[in-house]
Amino acid sequence: MLDSAAVTRSGPVAQVHDFKSGNEAAALAARDIGFHVMGYFPITPSTEVAETLSKMQADGEHDIVMIPADGEHGAAGICYGAALGGGRVLNATSSQGLLYSLEQLPVQSGTRVPMVLNVSTRTVSGPLDIRCDHSDIYFVLNAGWIILMARDPQSAYDMNFAAVRIGEHPDVRLPVIVAYDGFLTSHQKRRIDRFDDPAAVKAFVGEREDPYSALDPDRPVTFGPYMNDPDLINNKVQQHQAMEAARRVIPEIFAEFYEFSGRDYRSVDAYRMDDADVALVLLNSAAENAKGVADKMREKGHKVGVVSPNVLRPFPTDEIRRLLKNVRAVVVGDRGDSYGAEGGNLSLEVRAALQQDPDNKTLVMSRVYGLGGKDFYDADAEEFFHEALTAAETGKVEVPFEYHGAYAGDDDAGPAPGLPPIKAEEVSRGMATVTPNPETNKLEVELKPLWEMTTTPSRIAPGHGACPGCGFFPMLRQAYNVLEGNIVVLFQTGCAMVTTTGYPKTAHRITYIHNLFQNGAATLSGLVEMYHERVRRGEIPEAPEGEDTTFIMVTGDGGMDIGMGAALGTAHRNHKMIILEYDNQGYMNTGSQLSYATPFGHRTSTSEVGDKLSGKRFHHKDTPQIFAACNLPYVFTASEGYPEDFMRKISKAQWYAQREGLVYGKVLSFCPLNWRTKDDAAQEVLQTAIDCCFFPLYEVEKGHTLVTYDPDAIGRRRTVGAWLGQMGKTKHMLEAENAERLEMIEQEVETRWRRLKIKSDNPEL
Amino acid sequence: MTREVSIPNGAEFFEIRFESIGGLGAHVAGKIVASAAVLRMNMNGSHFSSYGSEKKGSVVRSFIRLAPADKAIRTSAPIEEPDVIVVFHSGLLAHPATLSGLKANGTLIYAGHEGDVPVGLSLLPKTAKVIRVDAQKIAFEESSRENAVLIGTLAEAVPTLRRQAVLDALTATFASKSKKIAMANERAFTRGADEVEIIKNMGKLDGNVPTMSSNPVWGYRTAPIGGVLPTPGNTAHNDLHTSRTGWMPVLDRDKCIDCGMCDMVCPDLCLVWSTHTDEDGKPLVKLDGIDYQYCKGCMRCVETCSTSAMTREAELPGKADELRVPLFTELTAAAGGKHA
Repeated sequence: MLDSAAVTRSGPVAQVHDFKSGNEAAALAARDIGFHVMGYFPITPSTEVAETLSKMQADGEHDIVMIPADGEHGAAGICYGAALGGGRVLNATSSQGLLYSLEQLPVQSGTRVPMVLNVSTRTVSGPLDIRCDHSDIYFVLNAGWIILMARDPQSAYDMNFAAVRIGEHPDVRLPVIVAYDGFLTSHQKRRIDRFDDPAAVKAFVGEREDPYSALDPDRPVTFGPYMNDPDLINNKVQQHQAMEAARRVIPEIFAEFYEFSGRDYRSVDAYRMDDADVALVLLNSAAENAKGVADKMREKGHKVGVVSPNVLRPFPTDEIRRLLKNVRAVVVGDRGDSYGAEGGNLSLEVRAALQQDPDNKTLVMSRVYGLGGKDFYDADAEEFFHEALTAAETGKVEVPFEYHGAYAGDDDAGPAPGLPPIKAEEVSRGMATVTPNPETNKLEVELKPLWEMTTTPSRIAPGHGACPGCGFFPMLRQAYNVLEGNIVVLFQTGCAMVTTTGYPKTAHRITYIHNLFQNGAATLSGLVEMYHERVRRGEIPEAPEGEDTTFIMVTGDGGMDIGMGAALGTAHRNHKMIILEYDNQGYMNTGSQLSYATPFGHRTSTSEVGDKLSGKRFHHKDTPQIFAACNLPYVFTASEGYPEDFMRKISKAQWYAQREGLVYGKVLSFCPLNWRTKDDAAQEVLQTAIDCCFFPLYEVEKGHTLVTYDPDAIGRRRTVGAWLGQMGKTKHMLEAENAERLEMIEQEVETRWRRLKIKSDNPEL
Repeated sequence: MTREVSIPNGAEFFEIRFESIGGLGAHVAGKIVASAAVLRMNMNGSHFSSYGSEKKGSVVRSFIRLAPADKAIRTSAPIEEPDVIVVFHSGLLAHPATLSGLKANGTLIYAGHEGDVPVGLSLLPKTAKVIRVDAQKIAFEESSRENAVLIGTLAEAVPTLRRQAVLDALTATFASKSKKIAMANERAFTRGADEVEIIKNMGKLDGNVPTMSSNPVWGYRTAPIGGVLPTPGNTAHNDLHTSRTGWMPVLDRDKCIDCGMCDMVCPDLCLVWSTHTDEDGKPLVKLDGIDYQYCKGCMRCVETCSTSAMTREAELPGKADELRVPLFTELTAAAGGKHA
């Protein structure tokens, strides 16, 4: 047999051709399996699984309960809880998302609760890179989950069916990961065969049977007791035994799957290995590339083959040992390093497997390749084969371990030089004068006319890569017009981060830091305290009052979902800094998934609109009120469409952040791409959002709420419907069948607005 | 229904590369063409695009790799030596990388207005077929999009593809939209197939266009550790004019009152101001113009202008260069040499 992975014969079940990416294939499998619950959080490149399922749901193709979590840690919790209830559970994630959920993974495997997690593999930060390698999946090798590898969209589809059966097998009872290459497989469309016989699929996957359920009142059980020594080690032996049982069960299920589908998977995919002198060991899509190259090398008379595990946990040690028994030299390619171990995890495990065979003489070379999405071309596979052939010929390995495809650099080259740094004096021009009013105990702000501000040098340079019409940059420009002195910014992951810092260029002319959006507020709070401590120790010169460096954490509304915990912790500690949120009402950087700030009924790529689904199912998060409840010195809302109002507020924010503590501000920020408007519709849409009271402009200064723009008072009040009619993402809300939903959002807006007005009118509230 | 597919010249694959700007629909176009081949022409195929983050206006490549039905497609790598390149915006022809690797007997299709024959075409093989189509004009007139026009041109120009199958795939993709959209797309597709100009005698090259691979500007020996960028504001060297899709804001100095509102709403930070003093010695500012190197053409300045000093005008070739007021005059020299 030439190719043990891709031999297709017509199985008994009816199938049809389709043309799908790996993510779409995983979503199709989820639909066909009929999972009960999916808990998820969007992250590139796995997001498309949830997006595709949302579209299918809108069209009535499945009834999986789709739960958008606040982050991957939350998603893992949702999945764990749902799986304890005895139904089938699904998740999809990548990279940092997998790492953020890492803490939950051993909980789930240790308590023996099956589910399926699709991992569209992507490199881990930092620096942030959204493309493929296997450094994420390498982190979960010790998590106790079964890990199946899917080398193309077809196997991404197939492995999900196998995963359900393997994980739920009574001798196994473990959660299962299906891992396929980010972008290379997740986003590459290929011809696939999918099942066209729901009854047969149902019979194949069967019913889930759980020995214990959290939803069985007749048999109450305790999940997750407090277990120290001497008991824990015994629990771990059981877990080990389950993994060992999986070694037997996996081939059984693969055999059943072959009967069912006609596609024959083995624990290790062996290509032209029968008489191979040398081989490459690679995972997933790179192994497929290498097979094509092996064919060409064979034509030239080289006896080469490709070994590629379809199962990474349990690691198929026996099969690897058997396949490489007579192979003279092998190059193991790792798309991820285990820094300091002289080989990535695959190399280490192949070496360990061979070491158990005292007769084995195979020479092993380890190569780290393809990191961060670096493409793996035929020429790369060819080079690996030649290295192996040379070693086989000479009988020795010249370079046991190295990085393949890295570039040393050219001393005469470098990125375009920076602009001159912006000095504090240049930008401290008194565009806003902030004065405390001793009578009201509040601040008053006098702004210079707008035309005078135009010559303030911008702390942000042009040439950034944001979409035409993007509202973030007007907001930042307005803030920088009036903010005085030295500023350090931290941007959480999001559009503004990605579009301003594409390596090796940066649009920032002042010091800028990125951290992942779980943690930006905490990170900046650490820097704030370091600043003040170093000033106290005399290591940094003390600034005159009101001239301390201003620290600003910039985040999208998405960052205030996943990063809410760290932001609230930072707020409660009341560090001297500003949290500035640009709210464009969705995860726009990753393709417009819903955020908790997305209003009810709005169309996003994870809250689609169709016969069976009408946009987002719950109301928008009231983040300013959450921060107001932290009793901060100053909380405000603003819009980039009202520059003067915003600039007054951000000036006050700086005053408070330098003297009293933390400020939170939320700024409504235009996103024509995902609001589905024209690029120049900002003014109208932002104005109507404010005039309909969906987005009231107000501030909470030392606990006192003040509405700073009252459309009722000046006769400009409009309906929420007027606003929704201006955006493509919400037009459906005005259709007759959505009358009830329109009424619901109108009511919610009115309730919140009235409550705010009462607070504004009553200084005690 | 299906026919035998021939991959020309006994090659392993027939490969098509789209060169585009985010927002012009290259990814969807690639999907339509590839799915037509796989699901309607009984071929094997793969399709993928180069972009990651979801931005409008940045460079996007989309790849279609086709093979006979029984031939496995194993590689996931980008297409280096395409049989066909389709350029969605003629401005991209200013970059030699756009044409990288085109086969000597390959086909180049580009979107350009009548008379738009960029000098970059001289980098093409003598033997390549070059086709211009005014995708923007046709799309505008038919209330469709450039991608519908261009896949019409592609489907007609390439014998490996069956025109009707591609059109059917286009119609199916927008089946959930209105009949009106489907008909507009069909008209755009048909005009794209038929209203083309064959550009002759532009290519000067013998053989394939060399594949261009560029090293990163820094490597592990030269880059600052940790990915730090000690180059504040060096995005100022970027040229983003290709983000504009046919329209540009133009300043009429006579109508401008220098109120500063446009500066508050401009996302591209591309308005150029100067200071001067009036007769009484009072400092004043003046809007000198627009640096079109950065302007992405969103027209927020036009929308916000209370005196109609900013207007939206069609971007004719050379107009932006003529009207451009540079924001950083010192950059032009610094951007030369080996810097990228």
